[in-house]
Amino acid sequence: MKTILIIAWRNIWRHPARSGVLLAAVIAGLWAGVVTVGTMNGLLQQRVDYVIDSELAHVQIHHPEFLAERRPGDYIPGHQQIFDWLGNDDRVKAFSPRTMADGMIQSPLKTSGVRIRGIDVPMETQTTTFHNHLTEGDYLNAGTRNPILLGKALADDHKMEIGDRVVLFFEDTSGELTSVAFNIAGFFNSASTDYDQRNVLVRSSDLMPLLAGYTHYHEIAISLHGDANPAQVAADLNAAFQGIEAETWRELSPELNTLVELGGVMLYIVTIVIMLALAFGILNTMLMALFERMREIGMLMSIGMSRSRVFMMILIESIILTLGGALAGMLLAWGSIYHLSGSGVNFGMFADGIAELGWDHMIYPVLSMPEYITILGLVVFVTMISSLYPAIKAIRINPLEAAKQV
Amino acid sequence: MSIVKTENLSKVYNPDTVPVHALKDVTLSFEQGEFTSVVGPSGSGKTTLLNMIGGLDKPTSGSVEIDGFVITGLKDSKLIDFRLNNIGFVFQHYNLIPVFTAFENVSFIMLLQKRDKKELKQRAEELLKAVGLGDRMDAIPSKMSGGQQQRVAVARALASEPKFILADEPTANLDSEAAMNLLDIMEVMNRDKNITFIFSTHDQRVIDRARRVITMVDGAIYSDEVKEVALVNN
Repeated sequence: MKTILIIAWRNIWRHPARSGVLLAAVIAGLWAGVVTVGTMNGLLQQRVDYVIDSELAHVQIHHPEFLAERRPGDYIPGHQQIFDWLGNDDRVKAFSPRTMADGMIQSPLKTSGVRIRGIDVPMETQTTTFHNHLTEGDYLNAGTRNPILLGKALADDHKMEIGDRVVLFFEDTSGELTSVAFNIAGFFNSASTDYDQRNVLVRSSDLMPLLAGYTHYHEIAISLHGDANPAQVAADLNAAFQGIEAETWRELSPELNTLVELGGVMLYIVTIVIMLALAFGILNTMLMALFERMREIGMLMSIGMSRSRVFMMILIESIILTLGGALAGMLLAWGSIYHLSGSGVNFGMFADGIAELGWDHMIYPVLSMPEYITILGLVVFVTMISSLYPAIKAIRINPLEAAKQV
Repeated sequence: MSIVKTENLSKVYNPDTVPVHALKDVTLSFEQGEFTSVVGPSGSGKTTLLNMIGGLDKPTSGSVEIDGFVITGLKDSKLIDFRLNNIGFVFQHYNLIPVFTAFENVSFIMLLQKRDKKELKQRAEELLKAVGLGDRMDAIPSKMSGGQQQRVAVARALASEPKFILADEPTANLDSEAAMNLLDIMEVMNRDKNITFIFSTHDQRVIDRARRVITMVDGAIYSDEVKEVALVNN
């Protein structure tokens, strides 16, 4: 075996330029593929994390009909018992109750449809990171009466400044239309322009009396510790309380769930496409090497080298070349992803377009160890497949025809 | 006992379309220690005969017996194994492994035979010294002359301790001096070690040195002559 390894190794370097080009192609191809997959993964993961961290949280509780009908009267029954339960569960990191209404915002310039989110600022700050998106003003802490936060995009549409006054129109729990003036306390700029144009934030303590004469919440967002299973927490809540519906972020946002699954599929698609291209490169190089050495292989068989040894020799040559390149490519990709996961990839030139889609322009590539292993597994598989053909072709050589003469 | 024996050996190429009778009922035997040339014009069947004896091609009819063992009909894998342990080959184009040194080329066949490393090293060095290449052991084929490469090929053929050596036009690509040098070496091996050489050749220098000359014409034995000088030498 050692001799076969030596002969295979030296055969590889018989044409350093050709082997070098193949190695470089494998390294570059795999590096590009892995970094692309890592970037896509990072993009999707960031989107998921962003939505979960900034607003959605891991689990949400609603009245069973609230999400479908959005009636102000469909609030969560017995919220205090739920608060107690959540406060005593170790899996729960924080939770934030929200009072909500769909209505209109009116400025001197125009009127727009908005979703009014009434939050408890200290609890919301512990549960989500939305406060990080505040670009100007205060996070509803101002001493002004009825403060309101507007998305920057919405404020620009209405040409409003901090301190300006807007009027909110919405239906209360008894079905009566209510209108109240709010003072602009700040602007936020989330990753999604669409979100910024359609959502306003107020204090739930300001909104609640306008909707009903008692404390009530339409939504409780629950943030969990890293190792907690959202599905289990939701199931436990549903079992513990009547008249509510607890759902995980996957159920609340099926499009996010699809993104996560898409990430997994893309990993395979990109890797397979790259490896297919590489497979043809390997095949081409190995077949060229084989055709060049027909006489030599014929001679080796003539003097007594068995077909199984010839098979191994060709297979080892391909494997050394490809796996060597693949490992180097993977290592380079790992280094690149490690570096970029800290510094990020700046797609600033597309920032506006990306924001329209609700994505951040700074992408932090990420690839987990199981994903690296999956890619390596695919590489090994493709290498073996593409190396088999030249090796099989080699053992089918007729030594007599190859060597031409005795 | 004959070291090589062929019995009514025939080979027909393209039997179903345009049959070509490359060998016609060739019955021959070679004794241990012979130094024989198979000669004849192109297409006379000498290469086909050597291919059959070397187990590289299969006859249409007849049989080949090496040292009492009939190789005709052996499976391909068995034939490769048989060649490894019984037959030495010297090719017209040297056919050394280009990525191996002279030493490694000679050792390689012994490695295939799974010989002891120490014995292998010793034998490879002895053989290379015997063919006059003691100082070129670490040279790769591309850094050697044609004559030197062919001498390595002879050393390689001898390394496996074969029952006989088949040499196809061994001097065809060599200049006179290299050819004579090579023939001298093979003649010494034949005389001193009693190694059997069977050549296929057009080269008059080889024919002159052979002690038995088999002439073939149209796939059949035309003449089989044992020279007087050969008798004297023996």
